[in-house]
Amino acid sequence: MRGKHVAIAVLPACLLSACNRHQSTLAPFGADAADIRHLFIIMLVGAVIIAGAVALLMRHAVRAPEGAISHQKGMRIVLWLGGIIPTVVLMGLLAYSLPYMRPRPVAPADLQIAVDGEQFWWRVTYRPAGATSVDSANEIRIPTGRTVAFRLSAGDVVHSFWIPGLAGKMDMIPGRTNDLIVRADKPGRYRGQCAEFCGLSHALMAFDVIAMPPAAFDAWLAGQRRPAQARDGEGARLFAANGCNGCHAIAGVTAPTRIGPDLTHFGSRRTLAAGILPMTQAHVAAFIRHPEKTKPGVRMPSFPQLSDDQALALARYLQGLK
Amino acid sequence: MSLHAQDDPALRAAQEDRLREVWKPPSGLFLRWTDTNNNRVGVWYTLTAFGFMLFAGVLALIMRTQLAVPDNDLVSANTFNQLFTLHGSVMMFLFAVPMFEAVSIILLPQLLGARDLPFPRLSAFGYWSFLIGGVFVAGSIFFNAAPDGGWFMYPPLTTRTDLSGLGADIWMLGLSFIEVSSVAAAVELIVGVLKCRPPGMRLNLMPLYAWYILVVAVMILFAFPPLIAGDLLFEMERLLNWPFFDAARGGDPLLWQHLFWIFGHPEVYIVFLPSIALFAMMIPTFAQRHLLGYPWIVLAAVGTAFLSFGLWVHHMFATGLPKISLAFFSAASEAVAIPTGVQIFAFIATLWAGKVKWSTPLLYASGSLAVFVIGGLTGVMVAIAPFDWQAHDTYFVVAHLHYVLIGGTLLPLFGGLYYYWPLITGKKLSDRLGRIAFWIMFVGINLTFFPMHLSGLEGMPRRVFTYPAELNIGWLNLASTAGSYLFATGVLVLVVDLALSPTRAKSPRNPWNAGTLEWLALPDDEDWGIRSVPLIESRYPIWDQKDFVAKVDEGRFFLPDAEEGRRETIVTSVLDAKPVSVIRLGGPSVKPMITAVALGSVFILTTYHLYLLAALGGVATLACVLWWLWDTAEIPEKPEKPIGHGMHLSLYRSGPAAPGWWAMFITMMADATAYSGLVFGYYFYWTVHPDFGEGFTGPGIAAPMIALAPSLASWALTLIAREVHARGHVMLARLLLIGGAAMAVVGLFAGLRCLDGLDPQVNVYPAIIWVLVIWTVAHAAVAVVMQLYTLARSLAGKMDPTHDADLRNITVYMHFFALTAIVTYMTIGWFPETGL
Amino acid sequence: MKRWLQRASRLRVTLWTLIVPPTVWAVHFLFSYLWAAISCEKIGEWALFPTAFAIGTVIALVLIVASGVIAWQQSRTPGDPPPHQEGTDIDRLRFLAYSTMLLAGLSFVAVLFTALPVIMLGDCR
Repeated sequence: MRGKHVAIAVLPACLLSACNRHQSTLAPFGADAADIRHLFIIMLVGAVIIAGAVALLMRHAVRAPEGAISHQKGMRIVLWLGGIIPTVVLMGLLAYSLPYMRPRPVAPADLQIAVDGEQFWWRVTYRPAGATSVDSANEIRIPTGRTVAFRLSAGDVVHSFWIPGLAGKMDMIPGRTNDLIVRADKPGRYRGQCAEFCGLSHALMAFDVIAMPPAAFDAWLAGQRRPAQARDGEGARLFAANGCNGCHAIAGVTAPTRIGPDLTHFGSRRTLAAGILPMTQAHVAAFIRHPEKTKPGVRMPSFPQLSDDQALALARYLQGLK
Repeated sequence: MSLHAQDDPALRAAQEDRLREVWKPPSGLFLRWTDTNNNRVGVWYTLTAFGFMLFAGVLALIMRTQLAVPDNDLVSANTFNQLFTLHGSVMMFLFAVPMFEAVSIILLPQLLGARDLPFPRLSAFGYWSFLIGGVFVAGSIFFNAAPDGGWFMYPPLTTRTDLSGLGADIWMLGLSFIEVSSVAAAVELIVGVLKCRPPGMRLNLMPLYAWYILVVAVMILFAFPPLIAGDLLFEMERLLNWPFFDAARGGDPLLWQHLFWIFGHPEVYIVFLPSIALFAMMIPTFAQRHLLGYPWIVLAAVGTAFLSFGLWVHHMFATGLPKISLAFFSAASEAVAIPTGVQIFAFIATLWAGKVKWSTPLLYASGSLAVFVIGGLTGVMVAIAPFDWQAHDTYFVVAHLHYVLIGGTLLPLFGGLYYYWPLITGKKLSDRLGRIAFWIMFVGINLTFFPMHLSGLEGMPRRVFTYPAELNIGWLNLASTAGSYLFATGVLVLVVDLALSPTRAKSPRNPWNAGTLEWLALPDDEDWGIRSVPLIESRYPIWDQKDFVAKVDEGRFFLPDAEEGRRETIVTSVLDAKPVSVIRLGGPSVKPMITAVALGSVFILTTYHLYLLAALGGVATLACVLWWLWDTAEIPEKPEKPIGHGMHLSLYRSGPAAPGWWAMFITMMADATAYSGLVFGYYFYWTVHPDFGEGFTGPGIAAPMIALAPSLASWALTLIAREVHARGHVMLARLLLIGGAAMAVVGLFAGLRCLDGLDPQVNVYPAIIWVLVIWTVAHAAVAVVMQLYTLARSLAGKMDPTHDADLRNITVYMHFFALTAIVTYMTIGWFPETGL
Repeated sequence: MKRWLQRASRLRVTLWTLIVPPTVWAVHFLFSYLWAAISCEKIGEWALFPTAFAIGTVIALVLIVASGVIAWQQSRTPGDPPPHQEGTDIDRLRFLAYSTMLLAGLSFVAVLFTALPVIMLGDCR
């Protein structure tokens, strides 16, 4: 059973480059993740020292001759090494870590981004203070250097919102709204992923995170507020004829709907199907015809009746939405 | 009988013949399975749990193969989800907990110098329940119908019938059944430790294993019932569409998480402490001295048990609860490391002070200590909430929990296997194969799980069936997969060693030169447990008491005979183990097996929505239980019997002096804990919903009070019946029992009246009222059965004023019933409507 | 004080008194948690904080210390030196008393652990 698959598993060439730079708690681009990495390194050093000391002591104890220590001395070891020192160390660690729990202060003027977990994609709504909100999906852009408040919930089942390089994770629970306050420091492209088991395609529920300098972000958000630049033609006709607009909204083109991901600026995203596939015409066309082949349990119905040309036309149309 | 009488070899031989006859196991193709002797039931139990462990291990190997390379498609997402759900569930519910119970069923009577546990048939019932439920749950994967929602089964993914199929019901109902058998075992073990110790074995002389078992069994009593309450709510939602976890109708998915983890975290210590208990037995043997710091170990066990109930929210650090709440649990999670440290250093200090005899069991013990320390240290890390926000639900936690469970449960058990194998089979295992197996496993474990720390920190969430190549964690996963095969190879070597055992020669008695009672067992084991029940004056009697083994073997201690042809053991007092009575134990019987089948049918048929048949199964279960109980608490043919040394002990006790009373009391503690889980639900909804109950007409105040009055009357009448019965007024007591039963019936119907006009499918407020009331009236129904059963016992001449155990036991039940009725009817009547 | 100690030394530790200190911790812990949870959910801030919390914590600590002192008294009941492993009434008593004293120590520390978050965070955010 295992032979064939293990045989092709040669050790990847990346053996020496342990870290990935875009979905790692050890490569932070946000202030909170950096704090937590700092906390982790302190604990790691402590743990290595303790583990080593216990191992050496154990070795020594096993090798010691009979009666190497008296009953009294043994009890002092239990009292000090087992009781008092751990108590002091743990209390110190707790006291040191508690301030890290305080959430970052947030002002009403800060940008809010509402994210809802759905099986198996992300509904994203930007709510800048004093301006109209902007719908999007499966990609999150945030300005660097500014505080951003994520307001997290879920439509169907429990999900968890996790951008390892930015901050710790926060669950998305139906009927509840949780806040996660963050600040990104380094611009770049990163990745987040669902961290709470949510069904068949839990492993295939990710998203791109793009941290941008504030000015670039503001310009981008203004662009997103404009309706879609849709072209007429075969693709537009197929979109309507196959009922795609029943679930997917394209602002300025179709009637509003909130069942599936918003497609208004679909073509400007880097990945498809919640961070799973690269945004190429072939992948879009294939996904439309058989989404369940990529994502088991996906809610979107398949469209096997579309010919290759039709699917490609539809993909061209969607990728034109920028 | 004086000491001199035992000098006569002919007398001793006659006694031994009688004992052998009394304890003879049933034979025959079917009848041999009706045995209830702890030696045999314990071995079946152990082997079955071991089999489930191997099965779950194979599931893990398939998962590791799938994850060996990125974007693999060896198994589908659907299969993978079933694999990890079953792996976790089987390892926890069908291996770790039952294994501790199984080992304790074998060892405890030997450690306590008892002939058997106080309720051998209950052990057998627990085993058959475990086997049926376990095969039902584990077998589902062969029909592609295994649960696939994770071992934690978070709703709404698992409660929505459109998102999860039969698997969720199989998990809930199959494992509820096993939870019932775990609680049964806990009752057995608690009563065993408290009441069946040999004379003189005061609390300060108890083997530490018994202390741990006492603590762990009490933990089971308080940890499992909240899960049973959660299971009840869960199935009500799945089968009847009552919205306990549906946010749209006022429910809340978080309630499940609370109830699950109130069970789930103590569970970790429930499986960890018994393995540490094995250390506490092995270390003194291999250090050839008393364990240092006996009270410190007791402190650690009791302290861990308490603290472990204050940790559950650390599984919910990312659920968005207020930071101050999280911080409380973070603090307690740090504090629980202190007693663990105490235990580890007590062991190290003992080895230091003693003369270490290096051996295979000790190799396993020190290896597991090394593995466990790493798991403990990462545990301290994830207990720090901010770090957990990153590590939670990633492979870092997978690494942590496997280090803890392998170092804290699996390897100590393997060490225990090498240590206790001669006790059970009379033969030693191979030291050489044992060492080879250990080193292969040790390398395999670290190669499998150490890289997972890193893959988690590098962004790999748990429970993913695949991961993209771009994360660059392929090589870490490949290492883990290679390690897992190595680990499995080590287990295989161990299994081969076990399989070769029948070909080996017997080892001498007490091959490790241990000092505790269980090593009195002979290589050619007799089924009577212990030749005579010793008088204990030391923690290590074989080492310290003069001519101890010979005196036991020659029947010079207590109860060396079975004159009346009955299986017997001595009951002693809780603190100082003063002899109290001799109880007659149940012998081989088909009843436990049949009762387990009947009860299992209720759970299994409900899974398939065959409610009518399930109800029939319920009736059959009730009939079986009554049939089983009818033989218990029998009036002995004489009031007391001699046990040697001029001592005479009573053959009948009722009330707190009797094991049966304790069993009822302990069972009702578990029952009350489950009930408090439901009450917690009621107040939880009130806390999280500002509009809880608004817009609904509740039951009002009058209806609940009308239901409460007859319920309390039923309790009072039973109490009075007990008193007048003890004073000899048998007829009056019977009339009072009839009155009590009538009042319980009135209370039952009046309780149901509270539900008029409440539709449980509409909102969580009527639904939770329904559950509380149903729980209460079901208890009223059981009260009726008990009262009528006691009446029947009285009429059948099985109960009289000096032999009133039945009446005293049901009075205990009635106390708890009254408490339940008060809380239910007060809650639904007065809260929150009156604005309290 | 002396009379009080004499009276206390007449109390006898049992299996039930063994669990008094950790039970005090459990009650303190549960009460702190529920009170914070309900207060935060219902009024958005921790009501009656920190006065009531401080009083409750002091009461818990006093109860634990008291049971520890009583246990310490009894663990010094005259007899042979530790490890209290003789089969006598006195050794059983001293063992239970000594264990209770140790548990009081652990419970004392655990209550301090619970208080630490309140000192350092102390609100509902």
